[in-house]
Amino acid sequence: MTQLTERPPERIRETPEPPHPVLEELKIARPSLKDWLDLRIGWWGFVRKNLDEPMPPGVGWWQTLGNLLLTLLAFQFVTGVALAMYYSPSPDHAYQSVKYISDEVTLGSVIRGLHHWGATLIVITVVLHILRVFFWGSYKKPRELTWLVGVLIFQVILGFSFTGYLLPWDQKAYWATVVGTRIAGTVPVVGESLMALVRGGLEVGALTLTRFYAVHIMVLPVALMALTGFHLYLVRRLHIAGPVVPQKGKPVPFYPTQLFRDAVVVLVGLGILFTLALGFKPELTDIADPSRVDFAPRPEWYFLGLYELLKLMPPQLEVLGTVIIPGLVTVGMLLLPWLDRSDSRHPAKRRWIIDMALALILLIGVLTLKGILTEPPPQHHAPAPAASVSSAAPSDTR
Amino acid sequence: MEDRSTRNGDRPGQEPKEEGVPRRTVLGWLVGIINVGVATAIIGPTLGFIAAPLTRKRPPGVWVPVLDENELADGETKSVSFQLQVQDGYMTSERKYSAYVYRKGSKVVAYDPSCPHLGCHVEFKDRKKRYVCPCHGGVFDEEGERVSGPPPRGLTKLAAKVDGGRIWVYKV
Repeated sequence: MTQLTERPPERIRETPEPPHPVLEELKIARPSLKDWLDLRIGWWGFVRKNLDEPMPPGVGWWQTLGNLLLTLLAFQFVTGVALAMYYSPSPDHAYQSVKYISDEVTLGSVIRGLHHWGATLIVITVVLHILRVFFWGSYKKPRELTWLVGVLIFQVILGFSFTGYLLPWDQKAYWATVVGTRIAGTVPVVGESLMALVRGGLEVGALTLTRFYAVHIMVLPVALMALTGFHLYLVRRLHIAGPVVPQKGKPVPFYPTQLFRDAVVVLVGLGILFTLALGFKPELTDIADPSRVDFAPRPEWYFLGLYELLKLMPPQLEVLGTVIIPGLVTVGMLLLPWLDRSDSRHPAKRRWIIDMALALILLIGVLTLKGILTEPPPQHHAPAPAASVSSAAPSDTR
Repeated sequence: MEDRSTRNGDRPGQEPKEEGVPRRTVLGWLVGIINVGVATAIIGPTLGFIAAPLTRKRPPGVWVPVLDENELADGETKSVSFQLQVQDGYMTSERKYSAYVYRKGSKVVAYDPSCPHLGCHVEFKDRKKRYVCPCHGGVFDEEGERVSGPPPRGLTKLAAKVDGGRIWVYKV
């Protein structure tokens, strides 16, 4: 692969900006901001290096998903910070504050909509990104760590989904978390302790909410930024893998052609995001009520495959569906570059891993589809039993 | 290896030599415009959302009974406190407020305890008949007029009245 990146710093001076007539006169006294910054932090060299990044021939629209993902994540960050200014992570006020955001704050429903639908689009985009890298075999030497870090980023994104789901503190949020954390309880031997650790107590309550909030707005963002930074560093260091079968031609700089493709895909992705955010207000069901027995908890759609898998498991094999299968899939993904030891990146020359992945994708697809198509039992909006004898004692949701 | 300049202009990444504006420049401008649009799409609504408090109207004031008329002697200053139910963002809360009331003859005057300098609550020293700000040393006399220190003016007056045997303060 021809490398276009290794340019001497003199390159900066080879293509100067057209001189501004006024600044030109003051040149000695006042260098341009670009030169001023470049002398101190080497900014222009950094930009230049990234814009000149060589794209192997054949790189095209499929390589735009990472940039879309990065943009969507940046949007989540901005809307998340804004939402945190109005949100209150306490069972007494969480629901009220989300309702206030949705119904009363200027542009509140738009910002919440962007954050809610952004999460869904991120899951779709990250899955497409993973599938692209998988089928192109781009995880092979020397890009094993790029893949591994990418899988960790995927896990962090799922962590965001799980912890963020609780925050509105409505029925859907509460019961999905009761069930979701109960899954931790099925781990052999340490299950009970693990569940108490995740919940911050024996039941889902105030301490679960603050715990999930802290993880959602502090732990995971820091982890995501560190991992993403490392991922991007590796992508730039090792360059894009290019098509499975190398194509003729010279590498082409990232700017402007590939960056333009990236921008178009970002534009389409954001078009979908804004259509959803403006057209479909995120659901807010009734406030969380631990005493209700008429609510059918369902997770977010991208966890429905796991949800359906658990339905299929007989009691004695429960741990298979809750821990072992998801755990094996995760470990398998992490170790993929070392499991698939074939030299070729061509799908036809690494049949077993491709076949296994196809079977897995088919299984997840069928289960997810089954989950989506299964009508939840009708929700009764009957008031909670009037004679709340034990209003002070919360019902046992363990 | 083919020579780049002879390649077809439709092929990705190529820069054919054409008349007029080069393809590279056009794409660069398009990328720039899209990026500005994307930045606006996220920054605009977010700023509007964060700045929502600017569109909130101040709630109307309310008359609050604070003392019986005979509880305040001529020339006396008293600190009174009262609770009001206020809409505080997404919640309604009982918030405590206080005021100073001062009687001179038949006239009753009320003062907001916030120092007009930077808002610390002033304390009335009964022996010296002076309000003293604990923060930066502002001093006011019992009429609320500035005596010394950094405050730019006297204490803020609240409307007060005697009605039905009670002293009322208008809390804005």
